[in-house]
Amino acid sequence: MGIVIAVISGKGGVGKTTTTANIGLGIAQNGKSCVVVDFDIGQRNLDMLLGLENRVVYDMVHVMDENISIKQALIKSKMSPNLSFLAASQTKDKSVLDSAKINKLISSLKEDFDFVILDAPAGIESGYEHTIEFADRAIIVVNPEVSSIRDSDRAIGILDSKSQKVKNGEDVEKYLIINRINPQMVQSGEMLNSEDILEILSIPLLGKIPEDKAIIDASNQGKPIVLNESSSAGQAYKRVSARLCNEKVDFVDVETFNRGFMQKIKEIFT
Amino acid sequence: MKTRQYSIKVFEIELVDEGKFIAFFEKNYQFFQNHLIVINGKENKQIKEYLNSKELKHVFNLTLPKRVSDKSVNPPVPTPRKTTEKVQTNLKVIDKLIRSGQELKIDGDLLLLNRVNSGGTIIINGTLIIIQIVDGSIRCNGNFMMLQASHKANIVFHDVEVDNKYLQDKLKKVELINNEIVITPVLKETSWV
Repeated sequence: MGIVIAVISGKGGVGKTTTTANIGLGIAQNGKSCVVVDFDIGQRNLDMLLGLENRVVYDMVHVMDENISIKQALIKSKMSPNLSFLAASQTKDKSVLDSAKINKLISSLKEDFDFVILDAPAGIESGYEHTIEFADRAIIVVNPEVSSIRDSDRAIGILDSKSQKVKNGEDVEKYLIINRINPQMVQSGEMLNSEDILEILSIPLLGKIPEDKAIIDASNQGKPIVLNESSSAGQAYKRVSARLCNEKVDFVDVETFNRGFMQKIKEIFT
Repeated sequence: MKTRQYSIKVFEIELVDEGKFIAFFEKNYQFFQNHLIVINGKENKQIKEYLNSKELKHVFNLTLPKRVSDKSVNPPVPTPRKTTEKVQTNLKVIDKLIRSGQELKIDGDLLLLNRVNSGGTIIINGTLIIIQIVDGSIRCNGNFMMLQASHKANIVFHDVEVDNKYLQDKLKKVELINNEIVITPVLKETSWV
């Protein structure tokens, strides 16, 4: 039986889809079978980040509403044989989602894969509620800024009241990923530091991802940054994926900004 | 004949200094939108015009019937103790983070062992004690409240907004003594000789 993980944030644009793509591929590279499901019905993005843009024939709604088997709709990634992808519909909207159908879909995915990762839509509407409904765990992605933290806080509150696991009296495990950390700004005190964020949200930390310009290019090319050995964000996603696979990986300080040699010399003279 | 009976909230205030009076209402008038303001002092045209401009209902020098318990129906009223010694009513102890968008409405007293995040609200009729920092909003009508709030918080005690700057660095006790809000630190500082 696989584990269902919902990637949520509340606020849009914080990096949910990027995180989903990267940890999906990271887990697959760790030798576990993994399927990433785009739950953002009506706005398909995840296929692009995984480099599977024009290969979508059948999507999730076809599987739920028509007689298309899951095997027909799943797309195997070119980058890892362990990674599969199930696309969101672009023509329908979130009103087609229905709890019973989603439960059936997720249950059958759980049988075939070690990890089922659901990319939640932004916001806290019905699309979001359906994503978290059958999740065993949730990964909350935040940016170090107040609006992102408040929206995540709200999203966690809804998760704690509406998920099926909570209704059964169990707990949904929640983990935090702090995305887009700018070490320079953290050190100068302009950006919230991780300890403050952890104190406000009070959930365990899964990883800190530094801001990295290479992510934009990686997304445009459809090659998740986790494949890039020289990227700091890619390495951070690699560590997060390993932690999800129950490996013990030490936390790396991504908040200390290493000043260059010239910068240090400049500082002596100013 | 048609009759109706109402209970209204009355805010009694003494008029001594006109400037101070207007300054007070300028700051707090929003809290008195649903109150009847009873002004004790000399009737004043300027004040009247000011209060009318804020749409606040008011009267000058009105003696109102205060609530007197009816001994034949109610048991004898116990002698009033000092406010802080009042017995707790339905004390609730909660160790739950109040997250953004969550609203906690409580009729009795509350001891909260966790924090109140920005966007979270607590509305309470009794005494309130919060151990960790408050970033959200509090409406308390109890005997006293004990809390530490950040600059983001919005604390209203008996319909009056409490200035956060007095609540920031330490756990403070906020109470109503003789119609005045008094804020004192809970832990006294050691004074070295």
